[in-house]
Amino acid sequence: MAAELLMTPYAMDRFMGRLIAEGPVMGPRDRRVQPGFVKFEWLSSADELVLEYTTTTIPPKKAFFPPRQPLFEFELSEPPTITAVQEATPFTLVGVHPCDLAGLSMLDDAYAREPAEACWPAARARARVIGVDCLPDEYCFCFAMNTCNSREGADLFLTPIARGYLVEVLTEAGEEMLRLSDVEDAEDEDRSQAQAFRRDKGNRLSASIDASPEEFAEILETQELGELWREIAGRCYSCGSCNTTCPTCFCFDINDEFDLGLTGGQRVRTWDSCQLQEFALVAGGHNFRRIRWQRVRHRWHRKFLYLYRTFGRPYCTGCGRCSRACTADINIVDVSNEVIARARGRV
Amino acid sequence: MPQEAPIPRFGHKPQVAFFDFACCEGCQLSVLQLEEKLLEILGHVDVVTWREAMTETSSEYDIAFCEGSITTEEDIERIRAIRKQAEVLVTLGSCASGGCHNELKNQWSMDEVLGVVYGDDAGGISTIPSRPISAVVDVDYQTFGCPVSLPEFVTVVSCMLTGQHYEPPNQPVCVECKLNDYVCVYEKGEVCLGPVTRCGCNAICTSFGHACQGCRGLMDSANLPAMLKALTREEAHSIMRMVVERHSLTEDEIAAKLRIYNNWPELRMEEAQPDDD
Ligand code: SF4
Ligand code: SF4
Ligand code: SF4
Ligand code: SF4
Ligand code: SF4
Repeated sequence: MAAELLMTPYAMDRFMGRLIAEGPVMGPRDRRVQPGFVKFEWLSSADELVLEYTTTTIPPKKAFFPPRQPLFEFELSEPPTITAVQEATPFTLVGVHPCDLAGLSMLDDAYAREPAEACWPAARARARVIGVDCLPDEYCFCFAMNTCNSREGADLFLTPIARGYLVEVLTEAGEEMLRLSDVEDAEDEDRSQAQAFRRDKGNRLSASIDASPEEFAEILETQELGELWREIAGRCYSCGSCNTTCPTCFCFDINDEFDLGLTGGQRVRTWDSCQLQEFALVAGGHNFRRIRWQRVRHRWHRKFLYLYRTFGRPYCTGCGRCSRACTADINIVDVSNEVIARARGRV
Repeated sequence: MPQEAPIPRFGHKPQVAFFDFACCEGCQLSVLQLEEKLLEILGHVDVVTWREAMTETSSEYDIAFCEGSITTEEDIERIRAIRKQAEVLVTLGSCASGGCHNELKNQWSMDEVLGVVYGDDAGGISTIPSRPISAVVDVDYQTFGCPVSLPEFVTVVSCMLTGQHYEPPNQPVCVECKLNDYVCVYEKGEVCLGPVTRCGCNAICTSFGHACQGCRGLMDSANLPAMLKALTREEAHSIMRMVVERHSLTEDEIAAKLRIYNNWPELRMEEAQPDDD
C-alpha cells in the first residue's frame, strides 16, 4: 500500500501555488465566459484550480496530444529547411479522474505499439500527474469498465475527505513533489472517510454494460446486426464529437499550412475522427467506410473488439463523454446493451 | 517582409478585382477587416477594382473575387463576362458559394415576390430564382460564411497564389468546436445547427457561447432526418431531454431554422444522404 498522507485545503492551496511557481501546471479550471463548465487549462494561480468537478468536454490527453499541434516549420528556401517544433519544459497535470488515468495509460500502450509514435511518450516523460477522485453523473460507467479506482500513471492521488484530501503517494516523483507541500500524517478516520467516498461513488454508478468484455467482443465479432447499426446511423450526424471527446481515441490528420508570405509554413497535426465521412478516404478516391452505418459500427468494433483483442482490455474508460457530447443522444451504454440484447435474442 | 517575386502561376504580379452581386456586401467589408493580413496579401497582388475600397476600376484582371447571388438574367451575363476575363474565379461568402438568405425567396413564385417587394411598380422589373455563382459558371475556389469566414479566406488566398487546390471542408462545425474545447450549447439547453453545418469558421459563434445558425451552409452529407429525430425524441437522456422539452420544436420549425441559409437547392428534410444506404 502506498503511503497515505493528509493535505488540508489550505496546504493544498499552498502546494498548488508552489507547483505553479515552479513550472507550468495544467488542471481543471472554470471558464471565465461560461462559468460552471470546467476544462483542462494551464493555470496561472492556485485559486483557478477546481478539484471537484464532474467531467470535462475534452479529456486531459490534450496536455500530451494537443488537438492542433505544429510538428515542424518549413521554409522553401534553397535548400529548403525544416525546424522541428519541440517542447522541452517539464510540467504537472493536476486533477485527473481515475477513468482518465486509465485513458492516458491506454494511449501509452497504443502509441508504444510498433510502429511507435514519438510525440506522446516524449510529452508523457515531461509530466508529473496528480489524480483526484470524483463522483459520477448519469452518463458515467467507469465501474463497469473497471477504471473507477485506477491509479495508473499517477504520481499522487487525492481523495476528498472532511479534513481536506487523503494523499496517496504512488511514485518517487510524487514523493519528490511533496517536498513542496505541508502534509500531515493521516489518521484512521481520514482513511475510512476515503473508503466511504469510494463506496459512495460505486453506489452511485448505475449505468453498466450487460456482458463481460470477452462476451461483448465475441458478439461484435460474430454478429452482423446490420439492422441495428442502420437504425443508429439514421440518428447519427457523423459529427465526430464521440471521438473528439474520447480519452482513448488516438487518430490524427496531418496538413501543411502556408504562411501568407508564401515562402514557408507549418506542418500541423489535428485530431481526426472515424465518424467523419472522409476519415477512411484514400488516394484514388476509395472510401473504406463510406456508408454511415459502417462508421457507427466501426466505433464499437474499435473500442470493444479490435483493441480489446490487441491490448487485453476494452478501449473505453466509461467516462461517458461521448454520450454527453452526442447531440443525437446516441448513448454508448444503451447502444452496447441493445447490441447485447439483440445478439442474445438471436441465439 | 512579404516576398516580391512574381507568383509562378501568373508569371507576374497578378491583378485582382472584386465584384458584387445580390448581397449585403458584408463579405467585402469583412475582408477589409483582415488589416495586417490584408497588407501581406497585397504584397503579392495588385488590386485594380474594388468598389468598396477604392475609386479606380479596370477591365483587365487575373483574379476575380465575386460576392453575392445570381438573381437576374443580367447577373448571368455579367458573371459570364467576368468568368471569361478572369483566370481564377473565387466566390466570396455564402451568397456566392451556397445558399444564404437570398434563396429564401425561392419558396414563392417570382411574380409573388415582385408583387410583395415592388407592389404596383413591379412592371418592367424581372427576377429569377436566386442561385449561387457556382450554379451558373465554373468556380475555382469557394469560400463560405455570412460574412465570409476569414480563416478560410486566408487559406484560399494562400492556396490560390501557390497554385494548390482547395477543397472546402466537409465536416460539421462540431469538429472545430470540440477541437477548441468550447462548451456545447446543447449542454445549456439551446439548439445549434453545428452538427449539420460545414465547418471552416473555426466555430466562431460557439466560441462566444452562441448557437451556430448554419451560415456556412449544410455539409455534403448533412443528416437532416437525424436532426428531426434528435430534436423531437421523447426518450432522450438528460441533456437532450432538456433541449427537446424546452423548445418542443415541430418539423416545420426545424426546417424553417435550416432554411435561413439553406434553400438552394430547395431544402428537403427527408432527403436520403449520399452516405446512407
Ligand atoms: S457524437 Fe453522436 S451524432 Fe456525432 S458522430 Fe458520434 S454518435 Fe454520431
Ligand atoms: S467511448 Fe465514450 S465512454 Fe468510452 S472512453 Fe470514449 S468517450 Fe468515454
Ligand atoms: S454572405 Fe452574408 S455577409 Fe456575405 S454578402 Fe451574403 S449576406 Fe452579406
Ligand atoms: S455547440 Fe454546436 S457546433 Fe459545438 S459541439 Fe455543440 S452542436 Fe456542435
Ligand atoms: S458557427 Fe455557424 S453561424 Fe457561426 S460562423 Fe460558423 S457556420 Fe456560421
